[in-house]
Amino acid sequence: MRETSTRQMKRQGFFLLVSIILIFSIFGTIVFSVSKKTSREMAASAIQNLSESLDLLQCTIEAILRSEAEFQELIAQEVAHADDPEAFIRNCNKNQTMSKLSLILAGQTEGISNDGQPFTAEGLDFSAGGTVAGLPISQSYLNYMGTWSYTIKCPVERDGETIGTLYAEYVYDAIDQSLPNGFYNQQATLYIMDAESQRFVLKPKGMGQRSAGHLNLTDFYRANSIQDTTIRSEVDECLRTGKNALFYHDIRAVHALNYMWAVNGGTIFLVGYVPVQAIQQEGRTVNQNIMIVVVSLLAAFFLCIGLYYLSWRQQEKLRREQESERRLHSQQLAEALRAAQIASESKTTFLSNMSHDIRTPMNAVLGFATLLARDAENPVKVREYTKKIMASGQHLLSLINDILDVSKIESGKVVLNLEQFVLNDVISSVDAIIQPMAKAKGQEFHLEVSGIHHEYLIGDETRINQILINLLSNAVKYTPEGGQIWFRMIGLKQHSSQYEHIRIEVEDNGYGMTPEYLKTIFDAFSRAENSTTNKVQGTGLGMAITKSIVEMMGGSIEVSSEMGRGSLFRVELELRVCEEAAGRQFWQQREISRVLAVVGNAEGRENIENLMQETGVQLDIVATPQAALEEIRGGEAFQALLLDWEDFGLPAARTLREALPDAVPLLLLAEFDAEGMEEALAFRRTEPLTKPFFVSAFRAKIAELWDETAGAPEPDEDDVLKGLHFLAAEDNEINAEILAELLEVEGATCVIVEDGRQAVERFQSAPPGEFDAILMDVQMPVMGGHEATRAIRALAREDAAAIPIVAMTANAFTEDEKAALDAGMDAHVPKPLRMEQLKKVMKQCMKGGCT
Amino acid sequence: MKKGNRIAACAAACMILSLTACGGQEETKNLIPKEREEERIVNLFSPMEKTDPDAENVARTASDLTVAMAEETLGITMEYWTYTAEDYQDKAYDEVCLDRVRNDMDDLYLLNPDTILTLGEEGRLMDLSGLESAKNLREIVLTANTVDGKLVAIPQEVVAYGLFVNVDLFNRYGLSLPETPEEFLECCRVFKENGIETPIGANRWWLETFVFAQAYADLYNGGDTEEEIAALNSGAAKYSDYMRPGFEFLQTLIDNGYIDAEKAYVSEAIEAERPDFLAGKTPIVMAYWGAANTETAYGKTDFEMRVIGFPSSRGQMPVMPMTGLAVGANAEHREDAAAVLDIMVSDEALQIYSETNRVISPSKNIKVDCVPALQPLNDRIEEGVYVLGSNAGMNVEQWGNTCLIVRDLLAGASVDACMASFDALQEESLNKQ
Repeated sequence: MRETSTRQMKRQGFFLLVSIILIFSIFGTIVFSVSKKTSREMAASAIQNLSESLDLLQCTIEAILRSEAEFQELIAQEVAHADDPEAFIRNCNKNQTMSKLSLILAGQTEGISNDGQPFTAEGLDFSAGGTVAGLPISQSYLNYMGTWSYTIKCPVERDGETIGTLYAEYVYDAIDQSLPNGFYNQQATLYIMDAESQRFVLKPKGMGQRSAGHLNLTDFYRANSIQDTTIRSEVDECLRTGKNALFYHDIRAVHALNYMWAVNGGTIFLVGYVPVQAIQQEGRTVNQNIMIVVVSLLAAFFLCIGLYYLSWRQQEKLRREQESERRLHSQQLAEALRAAQIASESKTTFLSNMSHDIRTPMNAVLGFATLLARDAENPVKVREYTKKIMASGQHLLSLINDILDVSKIESGKVVLNLEQFVLNDVISSVDAIIQPMAKAKGQEFHLEVSGIHHEYLIGDETRINQILINLLSNAVKYTPEGGQIWFRMIGLKQHSSQYEHIRIEVEDNGYGMTPEYLKTIFDAFSRAENSTTNKVQGTGLGMAITKSIVEMMGGSIEVSSEMGRGSLFRVELELRVCEEAAGRQFWQQREISRVLAVVGNAEGRENIENLMQETGVQLDIVATPQAALEEIRGGEAFQALLLDWEDFGLPAARTLREALPDAVPLLLLAEFDAEGMEEALAFRRTEPLTKPFFVSAFRAKIAELWDETAGAPEPDEDDVLKGLHFLAAEDNEINAEILAELLEVEGATCVIVEDGRQAVERFQSAPPGEFDAILMDVQMPVMGGHEATRAIRALAREDAAAIPIVAMTANAFTEDEKAALDAGMDAHVPKPLRMEQLKKVMKQCMKGGCT
Repeated sequence: MKKGNRIAACAAACMILSLTACGGQEETKNLIPKEREEERIVNLFSPMEKTDPDAENVARTASDLTVAMAEETLGITMEYWTYTAEDYQDKAYDEVCLDRVRNDMDDLYLLNPDTILTLGEEGRLMDLSGLESAKNLREIVLTANTVDGKLVAIPQEVVAYGLFVNVDLFNRYGLSLPETPEEFLECCRVFKENGIETPIGANRWWLETFVFAQAYADLYNGGDTEEEIAALNSGAAKYSDYMRPGFEFLQTLIDNGYIDAEKAYVSEAIEAERPDFLAGKTPIVMAYWGAANTETAYGKTDFEMRVIGFPSSRGQMPVMPMTGLAVGANAEHREDAAAVLDIMVSDEALQIYSETNRVISPSKNIKVDCVPALQPLNDRIEEGVYVLGSNAGMNVEQWGNTCLIVRDLLAGASVDACMASFDALQEESLNKQ
């Protein structure tokens, strides 16, 4: 379709180009024809013009010659009538025209001139036969004055008888005086040439270039390069027959009309040339003007074309932009459609998976519930079924939590809850969860911490936990029994002193992943589907959730994996350092200024050094117990001693304990599951400290040892709820019943109301102290939990503000918790209700610090 | 304003301008231009140099520049009248000059030395000593152009004649440039033997330069010049005695076929010998200084050309006749002509002339470098070594008479007969006294 359109456009362009060329050709032809026609007409006009000018000159000269001849005839008549003709001649004066007058009487060879000198006709050549008004005219010659002249002879007749011949000599200079002072703006060159001798006898003043001079016709030909034999023979013919010749010939590279114009029947000729431009001056101007008009029209035309082209180009650009925008939109739409289709397909697949995954535990719940009903009388079976129902319920719950988490993250509703936390707590809790899991599968779990400078940080501890649990539980899941799992927490070079740059590595030597799966591992609703991993249950959302959380924290996650060799996940995070938490005061209060550490491992020593820096406590760290002993015996005062249990064991512990003063505690740095410590722990003031070393753990241990544990014993958590009386707002009957039952199991009682309003009314009507706390569902008809809480808090009762209100909701996210607290509640427990969690919350509330 | 509207507004403005431009009214006053004021004219008579189709006539250009200067300064128009003989049978330029001056045909004339002397003696030339520019002239120029105490002509250049030699040909035959007549003859012999039929290109005008070089080498460069001239004028010494060696030398050249006497007798200057010289067929010609500068003569050669003096007992000898511009004593526009001449030979004009033409200036205030070819000749002149081709102080006119007597020699007269002609001329001048 597009190709056809392009071809069509090309064809149109071609036709347009051909049309333009055709129009220009026609226009050019017309201009050329007009120009040629004008040139032809101008050339004809030039020839006519020049001919007329030369005719005029010819007539002028002929008139002069005729006048001279007629004048001479009159003189001859006078001479004839004179008594003494020779005396008459002698009395005549010469004038500007006639330079000499002579008379030779008939029968004589010598006569007399008007200057009194004798005169002979010798030297005068009349042989050419030229005449003027019937009188013979001689060839031109240089006269006694040094100027070119000619003589006309006239018979002197008296009574019909010739008595002599009158010779009158005329100078060509006289003709010059009668000619115009140049013509064609003095650009024309003119000579008068004697036809017989071909000598140039006069160059009239103002006629042509002053520096140029020509001797004769041959010289004229030579000087002007007239070598064309055709022209020269034509000119010869004209000279012979007394006709005019006019021809084009360039004179000194100037286009010129050359002429030979016969005067007096060809006895003399006007010879010269005139540049054609000089004759066609007006015509040239007209031509120039035509050219200017044509050029202007062309310029205007091209300007219009240019403007049109610019406009077209602009429109074309706009069109292209719109087109590309449209294409982009289409593409985006297509991509969106494709993405939607893929998402739809993924979700369909996901739903299919979920359907299976949800149905499986649900089936177990319902199945065992059925069995429970049947075997209610058998306590052993009841406990077994109940346990399985619980396990299936837990699995179902985790599935639901993941799904909800993903949809929350995807809709951008997740907000990080940034708070101060201790890195040690994170590692400890993760370790506490993963160690048993790994152990259960016979896997080795290695925990390594190095290069950490700060352990009091600010971040969302829960979400960091989530990341680590996700990664590590996956590692456990996808590593076969007896495999190995490494969890490394590495402090990297800080970009800023205010941020701890941490790399978390989770490595296993498990199944590994295919390259194809690696590409989609972080996509939601994907799960490695193969015979091996299918054994593992999961939503497939874990990695997508992990990646989203990491990115929310401004970090990065990457994975490398090889089938059958294991996987390595690498997360990098930058967490703000909590400077105030360094707790220098803690050590000062307890007068701990110096601690001795005995660690064989160099990395371990460095780690301890790094972490202890911010405490302000002087750390003496040695690699061997002997070195430590020397320090102690050297009289150095230490307030505590750390000994690496794995490196040195019981003998070193014993020796050092003996060397240390009684008041100085000995802390044994040992792995979580260290064995054989019992004897050592029996030493006085000797305590274990779980690896890896963290100042917070060290501090806690010190606090413990410095008798901070001396306070009221905490109530046993198991009995927290015992004897309490709750007001519970729960609209769902089953849930209400379960709640009542569970509380009863824990030795507590409750009053159930169906909505918030009833809760408010019930509390309002109750005497002070009747209820120990209120358990408030959030989503209820008539009045919701938040509104009810605000109403209770607003009551004018003393205990209205103090009574603990705990939110119970299926909305289990951080935002929900925040909303509950904002409404005035003291704590938040997610549904389904877990009694351990409720106990923990109630314990906190009773201590007076729920929130 | 939208773009379309702007374009429309521009188009409308252009149209209004066009209509305004077309609407000019014709003037109603008399369209004939005012009568021009009567022109002041000065007629200049000079020889006509034949023009070549593609060559620039530098000498003429230089002269025209000074004419233009005069025209502009004085508001005068110069009319050119020219003559050149078609062949040897024609009247010579000098003859025509005499006729025209005697009949007051023109106002300003370019005259050869002999004509200057003749017309000066006849009193037909105006005394130019009162001109402002005359004060700048070199002594040699004043000497050569003063007749009966009157400065009758002033040149625009000091004309020096020399031998134009084809150095490549001299080198080819291992010849050095000749200093003396003997060396010159030897060179000619070698050229002749090597197949150069006529080693010297000659015309009917300038062979006399050989004679002057030998005749007056000592007179102008060694002896007591004034005393010797006085002896000649008084008849105590004979011109023929001075002239004889030169004529005998020419006779030798003719006899040995180094000069084609018959051809030279009918040849015009440069015209006849130029083609063979330029073609490298003739190694030696004689010409005036300016011929080395103009393409119409020898200004552009394919070989290395050098201009040297004529052979003499005192080495290479430049010969310097004095041409000059003269004003007719009875000329119609006498005063205007004198004014024009005053400007044409002013230092300012001569500076332009000399620079354009690269000649020796008659003004003592102007010096111009010459072309390399002229360097040998220039060096001799700068040294003060030269002979005059004409001297108004000598009672027998030299340049014209010697030329005519050399022609007799070319026509076959003996050296003795030629000497007899000199004696006759001297006798005639003594009789005039």
